Amino acid sequence: MLELRPILSALWRHKISALLIAVQLGLTLAIVGNATVVIQERIERIARPTGVAVTDIVTAQFMPIAKNYDRLEAFRLDLDMIRQLPGVAAATVSRAPLTGGGSGTGLYTAPNQEIGATGGAQFWGDEHLIDALGMKLVAGRAFTPNDITEASFSSGWRPNMAIVTQQLADKLFANGEALGQSIYFSGEDNPIEIVGIVERNLGPWPNSHNAGSTVFFPAVMDTQWFDYVVRAEPGQREAVAKLLEEKLAERDPQRVVAVNLLEDKLDRYYAGDNTMIQVLSGVVSMLTFIVALGIVGLTVFWITQRQKQIGVRRALGASRSAISRYFLLENLMIATTGIVLGTAAAQIFNRFLASEFEQPALPLSTTAICALILFGISLAAALVPALRAANISPAMATRSV
Amino acid sequence: MLGYYISLALRSLRRTPVLSALMVAAIAVGVGAAMTTLTLNYMMSRNALEHKDDVLYALQLDNWDPHEADDNPSAMPWQVTYKDAISLLRSDIPTHQVAMHRWGGPISLDPSQNSGGEMRPFTAEARVTSRDFFALFDIPFLYGGSWQGDADTSPVQQIVLSESTNNKLFNGENSVGRTVNFSGTPFTVVGVIEHWQPSPKVHDLNNGSFNKSAEIFLPFGLHRSFEIYPWGNTNGWKPEDINSYEDQLGSEYVWIQYWVQLDSDEQRERYREYLTGFIREQKAQGRFPRPLKFGLSKPSEWLQLNEVVDGDDRMLNWLSLAFLLVCLVNAVALLLAKFLRKAAEAGVRRALGASRKAVFSQHLVESGCIGLAGGLIGILLTLAGLALVRQLQMGYLDTVASMDWLMMLSAIGLAILSSLLAGLYPAWRISRTNPSIYLKTQ
Repeated sequence: MLELRPILSALWRHKISALLIAVQLGLTLAIVGNATVVIQERIERIARPTGVAVTDIVTAQFMPIAKNYDRLEAFRLDLDMIRQLPGVAAATVSRAPLTGGGSGTGLYTAPNQEIGATGGAQFWGDEHLIDALGMKLVAGRAFTPNDITEASFSSGWRPNMAIVTQQLADKLFANGEALGQSIYFSGEDNPIEIVGIVERNLGPWPNSHNAGSTVFFPAVMDTQWFDYVVRAEPGQREAVAKLLEEKLAERDPQRVVAVNLLEDKLDRYYAGDNTMIQVLSGVVSMLTFIVALGIVGLTVFWITQRQKQIGVRRALGASRSAISRYFLLENLMIATTGIVLGTAAAQIFNRFLASEFEQPALPLSTTAICALILFGISLAAALVPALRAANISPAMATRSV
Repeated sequence: MLGYYISLALRSLRRTPVLSALMVAAIAVGVGAAMTTLTLNYMMSRNALEHKDDVLYALQLDNWDPHEADDNPSAMPWQVTYKDAISLLRSDIPTHQVAMHRWGGPISLDPSQNSGGEMRPFTAEARVTSRDFFALFDIPFLYGGSWQGDADTSPVQQIVLSESTNNKLFNGENSVGRTVNFSGTPFTVVGVIEHWQPSPKVHDLNNGSFNKSAEIFLPFGLHRSFEIYPWGNTNGWKPEDINSYEDQLGSEYVWIQYWVQLDSDEQRERYREYLTGFIREQKAQGRFPRPLKFGLSKPSEWLQLNEVVDGDDRMLNWLSLAFLLVCLVNAVALLLAKFLRKAAEAGVRRALGASRKAVFSQHLVESGCIGLAGGLIGILLTLAGLALVRQLQMGYLDTVASMDWLMMLSAIGLAILSSLLAGLYPAWRISRTNPSIYLKTQ
């Protein structure tokens, strides 16, 4: 049987303390709920498939010390050397994706258009591009050696073919028949035929709203903004990285060489999101801990205050479990109030975060799960003091405080 | 009286060590979380050019796509084209003016001076800039000065080093007049500046607001001889046939950052008129297809416009303040419990003649003590929090994730203020104790 009325009237005498606990639980629910959706969104964002073999790719670039340096010649010699190295599966000269640096363009499905471009990130590469990045070709073909041109940004070169990601293909051609169609740069009538479609590539900026719309052109670009993209055999990337550093410097010492693991670069790119995940998780756990401590503290205090009354109840025949149940029920009532308050507060807080900081909406299910967990923690925090209260001896009734 | 209250408070805290520790911990954790994010936001909101906020202006020209404005809060491109920068540099209205961009390349000692030969060339972050840079941004020279006057327009191979680069290359000696090798070309050192690391890097916000500032400075007249492409953003809006480096320089691509110093209202007025005239002139030649618009933003406005403190930082700020609020409510509840437990004592004190005010202040002092302890531990937690942020951000926030003495004092202030706030109601409650009840049960 539930002694709700006496509990309520006893609570009423401690209304401020009880309310403080409820408010605490409510605020905690509001914060935890909102932190959880943010954490969830960031985790999902980081876990998205990138479309490239992140964990196997090593990138390398060099800066020549001499002013007039034949980069294209160096590309040829370096790549010939790199492809011979043990542990190297494929290599190309392009630009490493997922690093926060790259270039973008606007594409059209008809010639001589200037308004309403479909934005995409652009890469250049030779016939090894798809293989070196570890991308999956889903339609059409890869570039062949005959397709590749050596070009530079100031050479006025225009591609005549391209490979696009499935996402960009769908955006450009809603009917799903992108293969074989032509695309155009802004204001130009030079047709660029789509010869292949790859499954996915998040491009240079995975957090941009346009990430995943990526286009590849068949060229070796004479630019300082290049990377050797080298895919190592699984498990070989550290060895390959070390070898690259050594051999590139050895082949031509007159340059500064930098070698990186693509995964490190991606981690760096996501550092901000990762910070949010870690900091928010820390806040959530500390907050829950603080609230639990508060509940323990207050329950202990109430029990000490009511030792005499507990003794009287025990002397009048109340069982041990009845005493424990009393305090647990009391806690349950406070927690319920807190959670009702908290659900409302969580929604209000979420509206604010969503409008101010473009954070995701807080679904009721997340609130409910967080509420359940807080409920459990609140009960668990009250459990130990409540069990201890049951040990108060009926003889207490006869003693004065 | 205060001394007595403090000793009473300490005695009372020692009597309930667990409850007291809980309260100190609650305040400390709340203050630690709040101060970590407040410190980050405070450091990110600093303005290194505050002392010149009234005279410096970042310049924007709206030479963008006639069909749509540039996609940023200012609705204008952040940078200007090379050819506009060259034209603007000819104006004699501003006291100082700077056209610049980020670049870099391999640097080493000149082979003749590199006697040991063990110094490997390294890649140095460079700033290619017109010569007023140092005067406009108030950067003091350790040795020497800026390069000669014609270096803005002709390829003068002179270089200014940062203090740390000078340390690396010349062990901190006065290197003016010596030669370094940059991109395979000899450059004469004309100056070494003192350590200069504004953070946020207000003069260059589109290459990572908290990145390190440049290691070397090169004259603006070098573009053609080195065919310099910037290490920064190049943005364009229309198709252009680029068949040579000359085409790149003459294009509508924006890649030059431009600042002016205008000291008086009269100067500002004249410069506005000059810009209006300049844009009209360009419009007559078929450029600047958008409505006539330019931007002159003070450093403080520039930091705002560029959203240096991003949404995540501000959101964390709100969250941590909410967190502190929960810790406060927690402290109120615990303080209330603790004070009520001592109600009998307070009753006796009241009966012996202590006024309500005296009882009230005694308990408030006790909360203050808890706040002080919480604040001190809170500082440690803040330092730990900032260290964690530095580590998680992989170096990106190293220049801002640190605490100055002002923030340490604020931490203690915040802790004491919050604990006094938390103590208000419990202390008031206990001061209303009716002495007779307790005298009876005793």
